[in-house]
Amino acid sequence: MARSTILIADNSCMIRKGLRSILQNLENSEVIQLIDNKEDVCEIVHKRKPDILIINPDMLPSGCLDAKKEFLNGSKLSLILLSDKKNLKNNLKADGYINYMDGQNTILDMMQEILNKGSFPDKNSETISSREKNILKHIALGLTNKEIADQLFISIHTVVTHRKNITQKLGIKSVSGLTVYAILHNLISMDEVK
Amino acid sequence: MRIKKDMKLADVIQLNYMLIPVIHRFGINLGFGDKTVADVCKENEVDLNFFLQLVNAYHDKDYFPKEELQTIPVKNIVNYLKMTHSSYLNDKLSEIEQKIISLQSEDTEDQKYILLIRNFFEGYKSELTEHIMHEENVVFPYVLAVEEIIKNQNFTERNREIFESFSIGKYEEGHNDVEEKLMDLKTIMIKYLTPPANSTLYHTIIQDLFKLEEDLNYHSRIEDKVLTPKVILMEKSICNLI
Repeated sequence: MARSTILIADNSCMIRKGLRSILQNLENSEVIQLIDNKEDVCEIVHKRKPDILIINPDMLPSGCLDAKKEFLNGSKLSLILLSDKKNLKNNLKADGYINYMDGQNTILDMMQEILNKGSFPDKNSETISSREKNILKHIALGLTNKEIADQLFISIHTVVTHRKNITQKLGIKSVSGLTVYAILHNLISMDEVK
Repeated sequence: MRIKKDMKLADVIQLNYMLIPVIHRFGINLGFGDKTVADVCKENEVDLNFFLQLVNAYHDKDYFPKEELQTIPVKNIVNYLKMTHSSYLNDKLSEIEQKIISLQSEDTEDQKYILLIRNFFEGYKSELTEHIMHEENVVFPYVLAVEEIIKNQNFTERNREIFESFSIGKYEEGHNDVEEKLMDLKTIMIKYLTPPANSTLYHTIIQDLFKLEEDLNYHSRIEDKVLTPKVILMEKSICNLI
């Protein structure tokens, strides 16, 4: 099962590292990077595409009103604000808030709620549909997205979406990895592989 | 914890055993008794500053040597990276390969699946080799040329040619693809295969893959956090030179 990824951005190293150590108690999630520099935030968020961003509002670009918009447009990102100020609620359209004074359990409960919210669908159901199996078979045979689209009379876009879902469900990204899976599950035979 | 020059090297290794292959690449052998990091470096003619930057970057994910970075010659970094490359190509990959082969020769029933694993690993191996060759043949000559240009504050014709044919930004882009296959191999062996009769060997292979991945991560951290930023700075100052 894929783990949810978390980024923490705050000026203080005590806060960053402290929060990371608290979040280690969460199952199925992982803090992938700590950010200490305001300038780097946008770039790192775009590059690493975390599921959850925990950020001190001071680290946001100045004049920012809709924090989420600032980062990934349309992509799934839960935003949690981290601050020592009490009056932060309802600001900046965040999904959750952590106050410096919050106890460990409060923080963990809130995080768990966000993780459970279902904003990370399908990641744990690993059975692939028969449609996806069919696509997988074609991938394993070495066809390109375009060729698959032509053969199955669907758009390339649909093929790409299916591929994404397959990869997410199986936890396998590379074509050769998917091919091995297809052989193991008798979707294709070994001799068919180029 | 930050590793410092007056710590005992033995304690450093106790702190993080992943550093054993690292010090070996510097030509340092185990059995150093109570000698400090500084002592051992001096004895083996290893640049102390470089050694410290490197082991700290290995040891602490969040460690990022900013000012210290400027003082280390690119040549030293490149030499070190070349040594790690050759340890991957000559030792680690073939060790794992050998284990897969002996798995293959033992079992009769699961032959087919083990052949799949072997082919997959071969594919990974050639991809990693290609990646390493690209670094050795394109990236390293480029950064060495960049350093030379800075040093002489002048272009030779050949250096100019190299400088214009590449930039370190291009290198950053293609860095993730190789890891993908290794992760897939682990996933397949853990999730989708039933171990053959000799499960001990099978388990060892999986553990080896984890260690290889960890070591490769350490390795690319040196490339991404030490070498690349340094070269980016040098590129900028060359552009000013032009």
